[in-house]
Amino acid sequence: MHLPSFEYLKPDSVAAAVRMLGEADGRAAILAGGTDLMASMGQRLSKPERLISIRDLPELQGVTLLADGSVRIAAGTTLTDVVDHDGLAARLPMFHKAVRSVASVHVRNMATLGGNLALPTRCWYTNQTETWRNARAGCFKTDVEQCHVLASSHRCVATSSADTVPALIALNASITAVSRRGERKIPLADFYRDDGAVPTILDKDELITSIQVPGFTGRSVFLKVTPREGIDFGLGNIAVLVSGPNERPAVVRIIVNSLGPHPMRLRAAEAALLEQGLADQGIDMAMKVARQDLGEVTNLWTPAGYKRRLVRTLLRRALVELRETEVGGR
Amino acid sequence: MNKRLITLIVNGDRHELAVAPTRTLNQVIRDDLRLTGTKRGCTSGSCGVCTVNDEGGRAILSCITLAVEWDGRSITTVEGVAEDGKLQDLQQAFLELGAVQCGVCTPGLIMSARSLLIRKPDADERAINEALAGAICRCTGHIKVKKAVARAVQVIADREREHGTQG
Amino acid sequence: MARRAELSVVGKSQPRLDGFDKLSGRSVFTDDVYLPGMLHGRVLRSERAHARIANIDTSAAGKVPGVKLILTRQDAPDFSIGMHQPLFDDTVRFIGQEIAAIAAVEEEAAFEAASLVQVDYEPLPLVTALADALAPGAPQLHASAAGNVAWENAESHGDVDKAFAESELVVKGEYASNASHNCYAEFHAAVADFTRADRLTLWTPSQSAVLFQESMAEAFGLSVSDVRMMTLNTGGAFTGRGSARPHHYLSALLSRHSRRPVKVRAYSDEEFLMGRAGGRAEYKFRTGVTKDGFIKVIDADMTFDSGAYIEQQSLVTYLTASYLHWLFRVDAIRYHGRVVYTNNMPYWFHHGGGIAQMQFAWGRHIDEVADALSMDPVDLMLQNAVKKGHRTMTGVHFASCGLKQCIRKAARQAGWKRKRGKLPIGKGIGIGLSAMASGAKGRFVHDASAAFIKVAEDGSVTLATGIPDMGQGSHTTMAIIAAEVLGITPGDITIIAGDTDITPFDVGAFSQRGTFNTGNAVKNAAQDARKQLAKKAAADLGVKPSALVFRDHQIYPKGEPEQAIPFAKLVYGLLHSMEGRVVMGRGFYNSPAKRGSMAYSFGAQVAEVTVDRETGFVTVDRVVAAHDLGRAINPQAVEGQIDGQVFSGMSQVLYEEMLLEDGQPLNPSRLEYKLPRSFEVPDIEHILVETVDPHGPFGAKEVGEGPIVATMAAIANAVADALGEPVTEIPVSPWRVLRAVSRQDD
Repeated sequence: MHLPSFEYLKPDSVAAAVRMLGEADGRAAILAGGTDLMASMGQRLSKPERLISIRDLPELQGVTLLADGSVRIAAGTTLTDVVDHDGLAARLPMFHKAVRSVASVHVRNMATLGGNLALPTRCWYTNQTETWRNARAGCFKTDVEQCHVLASSHRCVATSSADTVPALIALNASITAVSRRGERKIPLADFYRDDGAVPTILDKDELITSIQVPGFTGRSVFLKVTPREGIDFGLGNIAVLVSGPNERPAVVRIIVNSLGPHPMRLRAAEAALLEQGLADQGIDMAMKVARQDLGEVTNLWTPAGYKRRLVRTLLRRALVELRETEVGGR
Repeated sequence: MNKRLITLIVNGDRHELAVAPTRTLNQVIRDDLRLTGTKRGCTSGSCGVCTVNDEGGRAILSCITLAVEWDGRSITTVEGVAEDGKLQDLQQAFLELGAVQCGVCTPGLIMSARSLLIRKPDADERAINEALAGAICRCTGHIKVKKAVARAVQVIADREREHGTQG
Repeated sequence: MARRAELSVVGKSQPRLDGFDKLSGRSVFTDDVYLPGMLHGRVLRSERAHARIANIDTSAAGKVPGVKLILTRQDAPDFSIGMHQPLFDDTVRFIGQEIAAIAAVEEEAAFEAASLVQVDYEPLPLVTALADALAPGAPQLHASAAGNVAWENAESHGDVDKAFAESELVVKGEYASNASHNCYAEFHAAVADFTRADRLTLWTPSQSAVLFQESMAEAFGLSVSDVRMMTLNTGGAFTGRGSARPHHYLSALLSRHSRRPVKVRAYSDEEFLMGRAGGRAEYKFRTGVTKDGFIKVIDADMTFDSGAYIEQQSLVTYLTASYLHWLFRVDAIRYHGRVVYTNNMPYWFHHGGGIAQMQFAWGRHIDEVADALSMDPVDLMLQNAVKKGHRTMTGVHFASCGLKQCIRKAARQAGWKRKRGKLPIGKGIGIGLSAMASGAKGRFVHDASAAFIKVAEDGSVTLATGIPDMGQGSHTTMAIIAAEVLGITPGDITIIAGDTDITPFDVGAFSQRGTFNTGNAVKNAAQDARKQLAKKAAADLGVKPSALVFRDHQIYPKGEPEQAIPFAKLVYGLLHSMEGRVVMGRGFYNSPAKRGSMAYSFGAQVAEVTVDRETGFVTVDRVVAAHDLGRAINPQAVEGQIDGQVFSGMSQVLYEEMLLEDGQPLNPSRLEYKLPRSFEVPDIEHILVETVDPHGPFGAKEVGEGPIVATMAAIANAVADALGEPVTEIPVSPWRVLRAVSRQDD
């Protein structure tokens, strides 16, 4: 693999990084862990003119467990450092499991949480070498108005596959993004867009600096289905958070990812459970109505029909597992 | 594209190198330093044959790491594992239990397992699987590899315990 | 033949002799070779599956600094690879086909230049599916191949019609296997040094230096000895590295034109574009049986998608035809196989040269035959299995055969009787068989191996062999054999291999011939050396040479160990004497078999699986693998072979598939082409059945390919058992499982 040439910039502060990002006018990329970016550049899917290296900025490192029960994670913290942080697993077990499920240990040693949240969508018509892509016409991701996956689509439906995303959305997390215009806090639930080519609302000159996860009381579960364990992107992943008793939950949040271009909240299923509780009847109803909230379910290694079936299985297993943890569970 | 002067410490040796920003750690280790024990595989981070260890013993995929990002830092490659020409416990376990066949994946597996032994010396089967899942092996089916890593965990734990009682 | 108790090192696990080097990163593979002045080559590959090349414009590419050479069609000599493939053709027939080659001082420059070459294609109609290629009116890929059939083999043995007439039941079945890739840990690579016009040196992973020497010599007008093959270490082969491919010729061509060494290496998806381990194959069986379970006749019809070109792929129609004779006693066998052209990348062979995939199909069929007879498959197999002394209708003779033993032992250890048909829903148990040749007679008129042994005055021994070690541990095995004969230990032996200038002739490591053929040559060489030593020792001790024992570094008359002469002392004494004899051993072995081999391994495996009926995922819980390998020379290496092959068989049955669309692979990477890893490892139990073959060295036969063949059938049958539904296609991916489950639920 040979990378396309670029200018390498190493800012000594977040402020300097933000300034460089602003000056680059959309032609720079942030180099944090680089695990996705390097592969993408090797394939010449990304060809940024400048790389702004932020991995060594101390302001972007660290996990803080706050007294109010919330957690603050600096965006440049590696996933391994998140997993290994003393006390995080106890405070946010579902999120901890999700982080630990990302790719492989090797990747987690370098990849960052911010990078995972901003992970580009994937599709086997675009995550290929340049010579591969030259063998066929382009698509929405490469500025041609068509989609190889869904001929009828008017936008890119490449798959959103980050594992930490459904977990953090279910936990009502928000992120802080900084640009020359200032700082803004964005609820993660509002961060994603229904467009595989432009999957987030992050501006080209914005840098994610931290993630805030409020404290919560309740139970939560994260499940991920993969062809092989410990290496793959998910065929489907789900985060479910419930508070209150099984018969009458007060809060239900269900987020799925890896099924389409953006994480999807299964509100119809949530409503069914709020009404009927977590007994078999409620779970059956939730499974039945789950499809209402599924957007475009796309393929990457599987037929779309398989993925639709998978959601229902994931939902049922997550809910059953949650139901069993009613007494004193997290 | 201008080259940058960087310092890289490899297996305890200090090297000053002029590298283009596009050069990966894998290219520098192999092509410039001629340490070819670290192999070149998929060059996109999914096969693990390029694995080296950083100063904290973390398993790092050298093929997707820029050399310039490692300026002033230290890595260990497979050539730096044996001490005084003798195989370490982990390597010895691989040898005795038959966990080496064609040998291409071996350095990557050794460095992946070494990382585990450094960072999680009390590793259970799940942790061993996790440490190795990022690395491919086509000959052994991973069977004897896992046994060798488990053996190394045991040998090292036994030695620690011994020294503990004697200490 | 020595009994196990009499052997001193054969049969004892020996860690590999090159282990230190492999574990400390000292072993050199082709990509680790750097030669002075070496250039980096890059192959430009077709981006069209079927097109005429109207024009290639290399002008921009040639201006990239450091580019030394660009070769296209007009620079290629007039040689063909295989039957219909000129090195650079003006018609491209698969995505990935070689159309130009570039050499540059820096690798980056070669890549950049490749991206600047302009190719004008005139598209031609595509045909990528097997059925479409065979359909009337399909586009013809090669003028010489009517209906796109590249090769056909039809054979008939015994009276087929009579046997069907006498059958009380005829069972039919149709099955398919899909495109796969070898995915060795070592990517394809070649370093060619053709600086001198009369001498080519080529470093590359290879199963046979001899086959490469032949091909290169013929292509470049050299004599075989002017081609020096350096096969230092081969990072896995799995039957896919048995002959020279386009990139070998290209590296040599680039080197010859530039007068510099040139390295060519496959990068990322390139591996998947150069060739496949196999394309789609379709199998039809018709088996005639009696009501009490005797197999009378097998009629098999097979079609193989060979991709756009054929070089040795015709072999698959002979190997799979032969295989039908090796498991059961039957009255008649008919076979019809064909290799078909499609606009896909060529078929470069996978485990067993097609036999492993075929046995998935045949093993499934046997299971279904048993089912049709309401018979336990184990009973059906035992009733029909070949025995020692059996001679097939093709003239193959089994001087040793432990097939029934393997079946019984595997079934018993796995608890077959109490599990088959009695497991809860979602769990299944299945059995698969294998038989494998230990030799390659038929490729040439000979199947020769030779070996040299040098004995140094300090008692250390050097063994020179032409067989490559691709990971199977052949070099250590040879050392054990030589050590046994000389009464020393394998660690005393240094192996010289991987350089045809130094090593003696050896056909190579394919068709599982190494242990048997090279092993016999090494044994003969050791015995030659031993004879020289024995003559001196006999004279010194006043006994007949035949009365001497060589053991534990000593030589002594049988029953009188107190008279022992140390090995080193004997050697020293031979040299430092008036005779001044230097001890050297020479050994040669050519299998007397008329075709195939003198010895066949046999095996049986029982697999247990769990099927998740909601996600479609299949977990292999346990495999009990019994293998009749004659004698385990190195038990640890044997177990390693069985482990690796069982895992690989599992991988092919459940995970591996090259997904192709219009000739383009959708998953050409180690991430998306799914090879299971550490989490997916099943429990594997080994049962080594030692029938001590009369012809093998110390009774040994092969273990390099037999196990995976049995695994393919065992796991597929276990999944069918778990599902309660036929499994007719591999890989049994989750959505194929769910389709089967849906059929049941409806």
